[in-house]
Amino acid sequence: MKRTRQWIATGAFALLPLAPITALLAAPAAQAAVAPEALVGPVADYKLYVLDNLEQLVSHTRDFTAAIEAGDVEKAQALYAPTRVYYERIEPIAELFADLDASIDAREDDYEKGVEDPDFTGFHRLEYALFHDHSTDGMEKYAQGLMDDVNDLDSRVQGLTFPPETVVGGAAALMEEVAATKVSGEEDRYSRTDLWDFQGNVDGAREIFELFKPLAAQEDPDFVERVQANFDDVEETLADYRLDADDPSAGFESYDEVSDADRRALTGPVTVLAEDLSTLRGLLGLN
Amino acid sequence: MSQFDRHSGCPFHRRTDRSQPALAQSDASTSAHPERRRFLKGAGLTGLGLGLGGIGLGGTCPARALAATGHGQDVTSAPQEQDSQLRYPFYGHHQQGIVTPRPATGMLVAFDVLARDRDDLERLLKILTERMAFLTQGGSIPERNPLFPPPDSGILGPVVAPDGLTMTLAVGDSLFDQRFGLAGARPKRLQRMEGFPNDALDAARCHGDLALQICANTLDTGYHALRDIIKNTPGLLMVRWKQEGTVPLLPPAPGDSDGSARNFLGFRDGSANPDGDDDALMDELVWVGGDHDEPAWARGGSYLAARIIRNFVERWDRTPLQEQEMIFGRRKMSGAPLSGDGTEGKEQDVPDYRRDPEGEITPLDAHIRLANPRTPATEKNRILRRPFNYSNGVEANGQLDMGLLFLCFQADLEAGFITVQHRLDGEPLEEYIKPVGGGYFFVLPGARDANDFLGSGLLAASA
Repeated sequence: MKRTRQWIATGAFALLPLAPITALLAAPAAQAAVAPEALVGPVADYKLYVLDNLEQLVSHTRDFTAAIEAGDVEKAQALYAPTRVYYERIEPIAELFADLDASIDAREDDYEKGVEDPDFTGFHRLEYALFHDHSTDGMEKYAQGLMDDVNDLDSRVQGLTFPPETVVGGAAALMEEVAATKVSGEEDRYSRTDLWDFQGNVDGAREIFELFKPLAAQEDPDFVERVQANFDDVEETLADYRLDADDPSAGFESYDEVSDADRRALTGPVTVLAEDLSTLRGLLGLN
Repeated sequence: MSQFDRHSGCPFHRRTDRSQPALAQSDASTSAHPERRRFLKGAGLTGLGLGLGGIGLGGTCPARALAATGHGQDVTSAPQEQDSQLRYPFYGHHQQGIVTPRPATGMLVAFDVLARDRDDLERLLKILTERMAFLTQGGSIPERNPLFPPPDSGILGPVVAPDGLTMTLAVGDSLFDQRFGLAGARPKRLQRMEGFPNDALDAARCHGDLALQICANTLDTGYHALRDIIKNTPGLLMVRWKQEGTVPLLPPAPGDSDGSARNFLGFRDGSANPDGDDDALMDELVWVGGDHDEPAWARGGSYLAARIIRNFVERWDRTPLQEQEMIFGRRKMSGAPLSGDGTEGKEQDVPDYRRDPEGEITPLDAHIRLANPRTPATEKNRILRRPFNYSNGVEANGQLDMGLLFLCFQADLEAGFITVQHRLDGEPLEEYIKPVGGGYFFVLPGARDANDFLGSGLLAASA
């Protein structure tokens, strides 16, 4: 793609560097500075964000699974990526329920027998059927299972007290997800809709960052500026792959269209974000 | 204080504190007298660590002093001892890790550079230099508020021992593309590695913008160094491929001869390597100098040819010994060249091919004869080999994925590795080996001191 070269030529999005280790070591010891009650508001706001996305996940999953049950391959294919986005955004919370995370979002590599493994269910099992087999044959039980799991997740999260360290740490966790499985294009290997998930993870991480930004800014304004710039950088890059710049719901190009050079270009800011956000908990004095 | 130090003509080796690298160039002209080698071997190598501490400086004394420790005549002599306090100076005209005696482990890591402009590239080179300077000298790892991720992986504990670590930074042909405006300063013989007839190159294990050779007594030290580099260069570097390897440690034993370590085909590898202690020879064959028709900034550097060469060991182990020896042109156990008359020579013996024009003793297509025909015309093709053996797991057919991480250094890549490999094309050994990866790189000249950084000359020359 043209993106990389254009970038290099203009230098418009110079990657903001991490602070050198010496500066990190000299960074203020933050644990006493942020009062625990200051975290209550952002955590509550984050729970609202998660619940809102769960509501969307439930309703989109209903449409997605209905299309499968109706045997409408084309429609189910179209709904696959837009449905998953809501899950990808809230992964730090969703992953707290390991049983559901496995049945909803595990990939074939998680099982010794791969696609044939009877425990391989959820989104990626359906993805395999829709994009590899181009068929919904025998998928009704997986569709129903996914719907049940998503409803179960929704009800479990309603009653969940959000631990602040999980919420804050979630920003880094999401960028680790991106670094580990999105840049490589492993996540959605049959549908090649990885960029949707990529954006979902980035959205989720950015939401957390934005909610805690005022507190972080009190501790280290440079950190906030750096993270913001790198988020902008990643989003600018992703935007380049949108099918319609004015309509986010139109989604993204296939990950096959992303050249090796552009994958490397994405790796840079993603890795810097993962490193930087890994310090957010410490910055806010959280265990 | 050891026997060695009393006999050394080099004042910088009299120190007992190995934590202080020698900082001055030495003009001492001690040479490696054979009698002293013998003497020191008998003395039990007590001075080894001290002597080794001086190499890599760029001065003549340390390298020579090193040879005098009984470590042997070659860079590739089997490593004999694992001193965790062994420390090689980082700064100097040349980088370390080339004429430095090969330790028990080594790896080559190729990177893609993610830096987007020259400023970022310069920042990267400075970070790399700073981290390499620390890691190779060792020291305490910094402490940090435990609410934050620790700045060090901690796999070596609170104090990083130098452990014989050398780190050697080289640049690949692709770094000279349009990204950083370096094209005008490209070393003249730097090029993308092309496949040879017997190669089956795996794109995922070839080339790279940068290569970092990391050698140490233990692999853990190498991994620690690599993780430190990765931790400190987010957004600037991405690992492209990596291959580590080892060579067997050979503890000094009474009456044992110095010998090159064996490769996974069971043969001594490194025999007839040019003498890394011979500065004049190294200036001719290994280091780029004023006579080598290269950009001025490149002086003090060297070309690295890296090859991942799979060995079909099961098949090799089913090959008669006599045939194995004919393929190599050496006796397997001793490493001696074939003699033709049943006498058993030594690894260091020089075969006289003029007396064997038909190849009746050493076949004309024997590996060592093709690689180094030992004629006046081929003297300039000699290369300094510094390979490691690798073992990566198991192939789908149940055969071991083992082989040689071949690393060699030369002042002229074309006269060196490329010419030698072309002579080897079609050799009988090919039935048992398959090069699958690697690349060509140019080892940057050394960083002069703490105010300099690796690649400073390249950036200045292309500004």
